[in-house]
Amino acid sequence: METILRSEEMAEIMLIPVRHHSPACAWQIQKIFAKWKPDAVLVEGPDNANALLSVMLHEDTRAPFAIYYAYHDKAKRISKEQAHYKCYYPFLDYSPELVALRESHKNKTKISFIDLPYKDILAASAKKVSEDGAPRNYNDDYLLARNAYMDKLCEKTGLRSFDELWEKYFEINGLNEDSDIWFSHLDTYCRLARENTPKEVLQREGCLLREQHMAARIAQQALGGCGRAGQQEQTDDKKRCKTAKSDKFQRILVITGGFHILGLKERLSGEKWKETVQHANKLEQYVPDQDESVYLMPYSMEAADALNGYASGMPYTGFYQKIWEGLSSQVPKPYEAAVLDFLVASGKEVRREEGMLSTYDEICAWQMAEGLSRLRGKPQPGAYELQDAVLSAYVKGAYNITSDMPLRVLRRLMTGTGSGALCTLADVPPIVHDFEGQCRKFGIRTDSTLEKEAALSIFSSKKHRQMSCFFHQMLFLQTEFARRIKGPDLQRRKDRSLIREIWKYKYSAQVFSALIDVSVHGATMEEAVTSLVQEQLRQDIRSDSAALLLTQVFEMGISGQLQAVYERLHELILQDTDFYSVADAIKSLLMMEDLGALYESELQFGSLLHTGVQKLILLLPGITRMRDEKLDAGMEAIKVLYQITGRKGPDYSGERADFYEALCRMQEDTQIHAGLNGCIHGILYGSGQEDSRAVGAACRGYLTGTREQLLKTAVFFRGLFFAAKDLMLMERAFLVMIDTFLGEVDEAEFMELLPQLRMAFAYFTPAETDQIAQRAAGLHSRTGRELMARDEVLPEWYTYGRELDLYVQRRLGHGTI
Amino acid sequence: MQESIKPPVEERYQKELEALRKADEEQGNKRPDNWRMSPRAVRTFILGSEKPVECNGNKCLIRKKYFGNDALVERCIVTLAGNRGLMLVGEPGTAKTMLSELLSAAISGNSKNTIQGTAGTTEDMIKYSWNYALLLAKGPSREALVPAPLYIGMEKGILTRFEEITRTPAEIQDSLISVLSDKVLNVPELGDDGFLFARPGFNVIGTANTRDKGVNEMSSALKRRFNFETVMPVNKVSLEKQIILNEVSVLAQESHVDMQPDEDVAELLASTYHELREGVSSDGRRIDRPNAGMSTAEAVSVYYQTMLTGYYYGDGHLNVECLVQNLVGAISKEDKDDLEKVRGYFNTVIRDKSSKEGGLWKQYYEARKWLK
Repeated sequence: METILRSEEMAEIMLIPVRHHSPACAWQIQKIFAKWKPDAVLVEGPDNANALLSVMLHEDTRAPFAIYYAYHDKAKRISKEQAHYKCYYPFLDYSPELVALRESHKNKTKISFIDLPYKDILAASAKKVSEDGAPRNYNDDYLLARNAYMDKLCEKTGLRSFDELWEKYFEINGLNEDSDIWFSHLDTYCRLARENTPKEVLQREGCLLREQHMAARIAQQALGGCGRAGQQEQTDDKKRCKTAKSDKFQRILVITGGFHILGLKERLSGEKWKETVQHANKLEQYVPDQDESVYLMPYSMEAADALNGYASGMPYTGFYQKIWEGLSSQVPKPYEAAVLDFLVASGKEVRREEGMLSTYDEICAWQMAEGLSRLRGKPQPGAYELQDAVLSAYVKGAYNITSDMPLRVLRRLMTGTGSGALCTLADVPPIVHDFEGQCRKFGIRTDSTLEKEAALSIFSSKKHRQMSCFFHQMLFLQTEFARRIKGPDLQRRKDRSLIREIWKYKYSAQVFSALIDVSVHGATMEEAVTSLVQEQLRQDIRSDSAALLLTQVFEMGISGQLQAVYERLHELILQDTDFYSVADAIKSLLMMEDLGALYESELQFGSLLHTGVQKLILLLPGITRMRDEKLDAGMEAIKVLYQITGRKGPDYSGERADFYEALCRMQEDTQIHAGLNGCIHGILYGSGQEDSRAVGAACRGYLTGTREQLLKTAVFFRGLFFAAKDLMLMERAFLVMIDTFLGEVDEAEFMELLPQLRMAFAYFTPAETDQIAQRAAGLHSRTGRELMARDEVLPEWYTYGRELDLYVQRRLGHGTI
Repeated sequence: MQESIKPPVEERYQKELEALRKADEEQGNKRPDNWRMSPRAVRTFILGSEKPVECNGNKCLIRKKYFGNDALVERCIVTLAGNRGLMLVGEPGTAKTMLSELLSAAISGNSKNTIQGTAGTTEDMIKYSWNYALLLAKGPSREALVPAPLYIGMEKGILTRFEEITRTPAEIQDSLISVLSDKVLNVPELGDDGFLFARPGFNVIGTANTRDKGVNEMSSALKRRFNFETVMPVNKVSLEKQIILNEVSVLAQESHVDMQPDEDVAELLASTYHELREGVSSDGRRIDRPNAGMSTAEAVSVYYQTMLTGYYYGDGHLNVECLVQNLVGAISKEDKDDLEKVRGYFNTVIRDKSSKEGGLWKQYYEARKWLK
């Protein structure tokens, strides 16, 4: 591998391009270490993460883990919104960077990260942040894969994607290559990718600024110092600089993403060298500010898999972990062994789930993978031959959503399920301390990963209510720590009469990672929850979502935020034009008003309800011609309006009049939904605005109408009984009308109407239904008892039925039918 | 004048096949028993070569014949070299038959050993029948036996193609099961001489239409004897356009129609078929998908009809109005609503393209009057 800047005064620098999460690259780096024996290793990674190196390299720390960066843009460097940003830099056992760090640690070589901190990268690519959203990953491998040159290359080689091309030429074919040749191939490829990326893209992605920074850091080390040595304020940095000065490095190994090598080479040689030295002299040691934080967190294979949307390097982390393990234990053909293992493992899983995969299928799949590797000129089958083999031999029938289970199983296995762990020295963000403090306070154990149960009497014990708030907060933060098994569910407005909550909780490394993940939003759980609530409120949401958020705040006991959510909900109700959304919000408010005393909330809902009711009445006429599936929601909303406007006192007298007027206007529309019409008549009858004759006239309108209208009578009754079922019990005329209606329809129509009729009569209690039946029987001069009587079924009939059954079974069994 | 409308693939590409076979021999490439060429050469024959193939000092460029999924072709080749049959399934007009013909011509040098599956297909048509005159005269003997494609494939060690397998009754399909697993066919009438053991090189390529699913669903026992490959419609407009141009050129050449296909019209048609099939326009608008199969083969047929009309009745140019008329014919086959959906597509997507792009798109939009 070519080195640069060879001179007596300066160290020799070797620039090594890497692809993140490439086992072959990691393998070749190990060989470079053995051959070149560097005395300093500089790795692309933010230079404010150097303090984490001791934890990363601790023997108890287990990959995958990630460096987590959080930045709260209080200084508005990135945008006016003062937003929170976060990103991850994942490391797997076979990440070339981690392998280099581990090798250096083993050889007691100096190691350091040299890249810009995350917030500076964000600031450098501010335009991109505003256009596409902030990058969630520190790596920039996508630049290697996303260019016109690469598309053309894939097309020419007949390979499906950049990842397949990479696997063929660099992973499988590259295993037996000499490291110099392997890295020179990679260098050529990265150079071509770089040359085919427009300069604007480089600028927009912040590449140029990062390279300037990295080159300056390399120059500092190459020149034997730490830039402006002696001006450092931090003791650790001072120590490090002194060490650097006293140890004059002879060979510096620089490990960076392949895309940056060309840029770094330019800056470390020729005309730009002077400029780089100048920049290096100005570059001070990094002093982190309070708006940013850098932590190490356990990571999972799933999250590290590029296919999960982070584009964090190579896909199929589980598969390549197996390859790395094979390489490390010197398996002669690691790809062959891994493909066979995965074929057997996925076969076993498919058999377990579907039960129709044979060993012969597995043999055929193996033959397919081997045959394809020969046809495609690969010494061993890889991830793509493995997938092709499963597709061909395990999927029976046309490949579609119903038959793709084998491939889904394989994909899951290829991603892997492992997760990492950190040593006890790992520093944690304050939110984790807060969580641990609360766990201690409530006697919740976090030293076991077994699931435990807690029964909380939330209304009789203050401590239990606090515990419930704590669990609700953990739920809101999506930490997967606790789940509620039983108890009042305010969000779904269910089980509100329950007085106890039963929770199941389980501590795991994922809870820890999830807490670190939300640490960007605050130092305590309450702060993080508050910040997230505020963030959600700023979004463009509907009033029902805001009301839901209010119930969550209510459950979490974040009393300081209730007012803010309350005010925002007020605004949203005024803006919302969706009837059902406003109705849902009002229902949530009513529930909270009822439960306010129990939950010790001092919030007054009066004016909010007032606004909601006014808005709902305004929107009411818009639902007159509603769709069938909206009938229940519409009737519920009208009932709620009736209840609120019917409250005693002068408060709602104006709304009450408006409500009745709106209902009357709706009735004037001849295209009104029959069910809604019934409901409105019921409400008006119940409130004394209409007498039974008017209701009867409306009912007769349907009964005497055209055939289609006649059939709507059932829905009309459903609406009517929803709001005023007493009509049926008190007014004989209605009974007669229903009787007439049932006499009008034939059997087929009756069967069609039956579901609606069942729903209409579901509003009556069994005793009421019985009473109605008695009266109906009376109309036909019979008694209720007679109605219940059934004709006798003779034993011979049963015998005949059984014989018939047997005959049919026999005929079907012989395949003659 | 050529002797047949559509000569078999092995005749049509005789030169290419010969060149590849000789190049294979010169390079000493390994090939499975009884295959006419190596798996790599088969791949090159179907997917084309960048550089011309050299043999005996002559150069022969191998044209790409199948557009779409290269990995699928590779899987098909490897399957045929193995113990299982190959089943190509997919929507109508996705070039399943063409692919099976190409594979048979390259591997066995014979794409004619074919069973055409229909509701009336019987076991005789698949395995063997008898010449009754000889049967009566000489009794059951090999001479009196009339071999059908499966028998021929096993006897000669070549591929047997079974077209539209799901259109044949299930019990007829199942007659393949024992042959595919044991590679032996028993003719009981011939006594001890009645066992026909398949020679190496024998295999079966089946094709099935996913629209026929449920007509005669394959038994799971038969499914197990096949590797399934699902042939998807072409997913790029540019590729679809290329296929239309290639196919129409070949058809025109074979019919001695001296007229060059128009690239812009091909793009117009490819874009229409692609968008209607996918249910979304290039600018992300949702479109109602017609129930009729919007295959590339249909697009080729619509284009070729338009070309012939222009050649014989017109001024030697493609007429966009005629294209729309033919489109109506192709679409209104199964469902009356389909035409309404296409009309909606013209009134939204094509209307906007016509005002944005003008030219041919404008003519295309104006021709919507024929959508009735």
